[in-house]
Amino acid sequence: MLEARNLRKSFGQLTATDDVSLEFGREAGELVFIVGPNGAGKTTLVNLLTGYLSPDEGSVVMDDQDITDMSPDERVHAGLARSFQVVRVFEDMTVRENVRTVVLARQKKTRSMFSLADRHEEVEATVQDLLEKFRLEDVADAVAEELPHGDRKLLDVAMSFGLDPNYLLLDEPTSGVSTREKEYVIETIVEVSKAEGVTTVTIEHDMDIVTEYADRLIALHQGAVHGEGTPQMLETDDELRSLLLGVEA
Amino acid sequence: MSPGLVDRDGETHVRVIQGLVLSKRRFAGLLLGVVFLFAVPDLVRVAQALDISFFQLGVIHRGLVFGFAAVGLNLLLRHTELVSFGHAAFFGTGAYTAAVTAVYLDVTSLLILLLLATAIGTVMAGIIGALSLRHTGLYFALLTLAFGQLLYAIALGQSALGGSDGMPVRPGEANEPLLLGQSLGDAYGIILYYITAIIVLVGLLVMWRIVNSPFRYALDAIGQDRTRAEFIGLPVRRYVWVAFVISGVYGGVAGGLFAVFRQYVTPAGTLYFLQSGDILYMAILGGFKTLLGPLVGGVLLVVLEFVGRSVTPYFEFLTGAVLVILVFGFPEGIVGSIGEDGVFRRALARGKRGAADLRENPSVAGDWARRIGGGLRRQIDESLTTLRVIVFGVS
Repeated sequence: MLEARNLRKSFGQLTATDDVSLEFGREAGELVFIVGPNGAGKTTLVNLLTGYLSPDEGSVVMDDQDITDMSPDERVHAGLARSFQVVRVFEDMTVRENVRTVVLARQKKTRSMFSLADRHEEVEATVQDLLEKFRLEDVADAVAEELPHGDRKLLDVAMSFGLDPNYLLLDEPTSGVSTREKEYVIETIVEVSKAEGVTTVTIEHDMDIVTEYADRLIALHQGAVHGEGTPQMLETDDELRSLLLGVEA
Repeated sequence: MSPGLVDRDGETHVRVIQGLVLSKRRFAGLLLGVVFLFAVPDLVRVAQALDISFFQLGVIHRGLVFGFAAVGLNLLLRHTELVSFGHAAFFGTGAYTAAVTAVYLDVTSLLILLLLATAIGTVMAGIIGALSLRHTGLYFALLTLAFGQLLYAIALGQSALGGSDGMPVRPGEANEPLLLGQSLGDAYGIILYYITAIIVLVGLLVMWRIVNSPFRYALDAIGQDRTRAEFIGLPVRRYVWVAFVISGVYGGVAGGLFAVFRQYVTPAGTLYFLQSGDILYMAILGGFKTLLGPLVGGVLLVVLEFVGRSVTPYFEFLTGAVLVILVFGFPEGIVGSIGEDGVFRRALARGKRGAADLRENPSVAGDWARRIGGGLRRQIDESLTTLRVIVFGVS
């Protein structure tokens, strides 16, 4: 289980995360969605959990191990991966090279200086498997920066899954993606998460997606936890509806 | 898998070693290059007979030695996209190590001098790398420059190192270092050239393995997006440090070779920051996106300087003008421009297509004029970006 324990983070006068305590992955493969209006502290929370930011107070615990002081790369090898709100792939590499880099890094094969990169059979098998799962085989030899936005998002997510995580934090994986591609992206994420038992924590603004796919929902507001529960709370919690949708309570 | 012929896409290719499979044309080019490398001492005599002044053993040798240092620097430049302005530090450390060991410790063995130069150059790269890699971009470039100048100042101020006059690399009673205990006499220069050629070939082969290894994938990832690289599990600074040290190994070897070849080292000729600039220039001149480019750039720059000196006292103007032309017209460098995706092949293909279009429909000429205008603007933008990378280390 991945836990945030009394996390607090301020930027000057602004408290972005205010005494947040949460648990993720009470069961393997849980799909948790984080919702909240702009400025609620969603991305800051993901940044604190993954080591992009250090908390002012509180701790991050993964599988009973305190990982608060671990560097991001150490957290990856401990089983925690993330994607970013803005697509971050290696732009000059092809899709296949992007995925290969990730798998080589995760298996610590990037330490090898004298073996040939494309001759590691088990790595190549994993790369091929990921390309198929995320339906990227057709564009495998295309350079990442030339891909359409939807494919770039998929590649970004495929790379995160390529890290073989137990916990995966996705920051708005469907942002900027067309309505038709959105379904495709989120369905692929759900399918692979469930199949591989990866606990996935996703920041999402599209409430239709949240309602359809979330096992559990966490709502943040002004840096604090507003509430958590099933997606039904979107219908029953008038205050939350008001915050998220601008609907009068 | 042993060397031999292999079939690829219906065409016969040549496997040189495992993983290195070349088309017949490229293999012929490689073979020609190796033959040329070892034929230089003989070709020099032909050049003398033909009164070609720049084709001298000393000039080509010097170019190879500096080019070898540029091959090392290129690992950082091409893959981690870090611009180091302090590569002369490792070169100079290697050179001074050979000199000090020969003069003060009376070590006569050429091979031991080279080994020690490599070792101490590498240690220096380890120290400077650990301190400089706390920063990236402009500050990294400035720190490498500063450490290089620090070593230059030490060499300049120490009378034991000969100050600005420098010091010889002549061990004890021997006139020059010995190879396997034997004095090489008049053959010293030529045999040393062959040793350099062998070291350069082995160094290129090692670098080829490195840039085709998983390690290179890590460096590329770091160069393209440092943050993302960290979040795929790469301890970024450690990887860049290792790359920095490897590039230092090449610098140390080159410095050692330079010392035993010239048999004299000076602060200005080895440690001065302009030498760092030259090494960087060599990589860009030859094509920093290629393996061979920096070596070719090394030889060409040294030849260019030699020719420039004989033509005008303002020879730096000549090298400066070449750099400007290069950045604007051939940012991929010489080897990069003649490669399969290079500017020359692209221009040739475009020319052929254009001629065919023009024959079919002469009115396309108007579209071309507009396109050339737009292309020129883009070219200027790209060139300015390249210049920014070269000068400031940031894009």
